Amino acid sequence: MQILLWAECQKLRRSNILMLNAFAIIFIAVIVLIGGKTTVNGVDFSESSGWYMATTLTWATMFVLPAMIALLGSYMICREDQDDTAKSLHLIPVSKAKLTAAKMIVTFVFSILIYLLLFITTFSAEAVLHFSGLSVKMVLRSLKMYLLEGAGVFLAVSPIIAIVPYMKKSYWMAMLLAEIYSFAGLFMSMSNTLKTFYPITAVFGVSGYYEASIQNRICSAGVLLLCACLAIILLIRLNSSQKGKIHDEETI
Amino acid sequence: MLKLVRIEFTKLRRKKLLWLMLLSAFIMPFFAFLYFCYFGETGIEPVAFYKWSAFGFTMFIILPFVLGMLCTILMYNEQRFDMLKQLWIVPVSRLGYFFSKFFVVLIYSVCFMLITAIASVLFSVLPGYVVFEWDSIFFLLKKCLEIALFTAFAMLPVLAIAAVQKSYIMSVCVTLIYAFAGFFMTPINMYIHPLSCVSVIIARNGDIPGLTLPQTVHIPMALLCIFLWSFAATLFAMVILSRRK
Repeated sequence: MQILLWAECQKLRRSNILMLNAFAIIFIAVIVLIGGKTTVNGVDFSESSGWYMATTLTWATMFVLPAMIALLGSYMICREDQDDTAKSLHLIPVSKAKLTAAKMIVTFVFSILIYLLLFITTFSAEAVLHFSGLSVKMVLRSLKMYLLEGAGVFLAVSPIIAIVPYMKKSYWMAMLLAEIYSFAGLFMSMSNTLKTFYPITAVFGVSGYYEASIQNRICSAGVLLLCACLAIILLIRLNSSQKGKIHDEETI
Repeated sequence: MLKLVRIEFTKLRRKKLLWLMLLSAFIMPFFAFLYFCYFGETGIEPVAFYKWSAFGFTMFIILPFVLGMLCTILMYNEQRFDMLKQLWIVPVSRLGYFFSKFFVVLIYSVCFMLITAIASVLFSVLPGYVVFEWDSIFFLLKKCLEIALFTAFAMLPVLAIAAVQKSYIMSVCVTLIYAFAGFFMTPINMYIHPLSCVSVIIARNGDIPGLTLPQTVHIPMALLCIFLWSFAATLFAMVILSRRK
């Protein structure tokens, strides 16, 4: 597994996807900062400390980041088929499920790093704008929220990424699904029950963005774990179907 | 040009994803239905329902995202299979090539918004939230066609980026950021981002009640903004495509 992880990191290093994502994250933060300059009834939102960090987290999670994480995951999975390297990997032999699992782990780390970068960007802006209004407790709470969001969003979109190897070259589909899935979170947050059980909004409950009871948080965490289990089941089924295919070919 | 557009559609016939992408036209009408169902309101103003189903997130997020993906798919396949060299040999002009893709985007955008309009009527009239009136339906159709037309032009910068990139990652990221920026820039300045300008055109004469715009509505300014972005995008695509061998 270690070798597979190392190989995946090497492959990513050559691609410009990481740089593009980093650029996109900074751009999102800048857009929200500009958007925060809107004054409604004489109130400038960006003047209140903590507002920027919280708002960027919400909008980025609702509109951009789940799709980006799904894009990276599906890109890593699909590129083996696209670049025709899958055949060579099977000859070594590398287990398709292990390979996909390695790609999922890299995506998980990437998801956390992407949120960490977003936190660093928003925190830097907050520190420049109103340093005196920030407290250590607030910053640490925000950091915890960002990191939990990173892990949670990955778990929420993991079934979408895991389904990609079944539908070859369907990275477009994965991205479309992830975008609709995250966008629907806006409407799910209107109902308390849906907010707890819908994976994207459940992430907010687990991270502590929403005020939620302990039971609701446990339920939300359970939903995210269910998503992870679904992704694992999909990966295991992939491995067994692959073995079945090899067995059929040997019999022939 | 018509021949090129027809060829584009022939190529797309095999792509099932494009049909599936049209299903996303039902998202907002369905959520509008859920929203009014949740609050248990009946006999609502048609425009209030359509504001949710067609003039809100559909215009700002869903349609730009779907069109952005379409632009990427249209351009990426040519790049991936190295078809451009053969097209230049035929010869197909760079401008003809670029605008044939644009017309596909435009026609797709119109189809998408027509489906949204039909779905909005179905989800509002059938459950009895809105009383059936031809006037309101014609108003919805008119606005949906306007959204389709202007959003297709507003997506020209994404099409240009997709045309000059060999990978799809960049254009997909740009699509996400572009739609996100349009949504966030509207309250600040409506005449910077083309997608914000579309909202200005749609909300002119106070046609959509409850939609508060931060600045005075100035249609020529909005049209000028869309034109400038479209012109710059076309010019950029032409320069890069002509440099490419």
